[in-house]
Amino acid sequence: MDETLRNTLKVQRAMRDLTQAGLAEMAGVTRRSVNAIETGHMIPSVLLALKIARALGVTVETIFRLDGKES
Amino acid sequence: MSQPAPAQSELLLRFSRRSMMAMLFVVIALGAVGLTLIVSPEGAVGKQANLMSWLIPVGIVILVAALQTSLHRQRWDPRSPEVKAIMRDEWRQTNMNRATRAAMIVALVAQWPLALTFGFLTKLPPPRMAMAMAASTMTLGLTTLIALFLFFDRE
Repeated sequence: MDETLRNTLKVQRAMRDLTQAGLAEMAGVTRRSVNAIETGHMIPSVLLALKIARALGVTVETIFRLDGKES
Repeated sequence: MSQPAPAQSELLLRFSRRSMMAMLFVVIALGAVGLTLIVSPEGAVGKQANLMSWLIPVGIVILVAALQTSLHRQRWDPRSPEVKAIMRDEWRQTNMNRATRAAMIVALVAQWPLALTFGFLTKLPPPRMAMAMAASTMTLGLTTLIALFLFFDRE
């Protein structure tokens, strides 16, 4: 697979002056999950992606983007 | 809806990790004592293990008390939102799944060397060999599971 999931979570968080712990609290997860997503170690589930988007007040597409070949 | 303070969540997160470390220690201790008692109950090491088997419950109580102290008067309440967030955390679940898969493979692959060890090298009678195989498989599987989980779940 050539597709890679990129995210702008760190930027979105910085724009709102939110810490990882703060965002985690708002999304109902732990800081480690937020950190793992930001660093690209974890691909979140649809549910978690939606929770994070809702916590930040943006759409999922604003945070997550699929890079790579289109079939 | 009241949101937990980050400091409290961090404390519980660290408590959860420390508990896993304590569990790893207990599993290794129980496995070692159990295996020693099965393989060589009458030997010098077996007698020491017999003494240890009485000390382990005391050790577990001390360990649990020490862990509780590290919570700084907070409680690990499974119904609280911060504990629910930790237990349902996706990163934690992902790491637990990865560790479970790896532990399963390790336990399966280890069967042949374990059978060789207990069947031929230690010359155990068949019932004791089966018990030794079971004890070593459980110890190895659980140790791998917890150790790998702690490794994957590190900062």
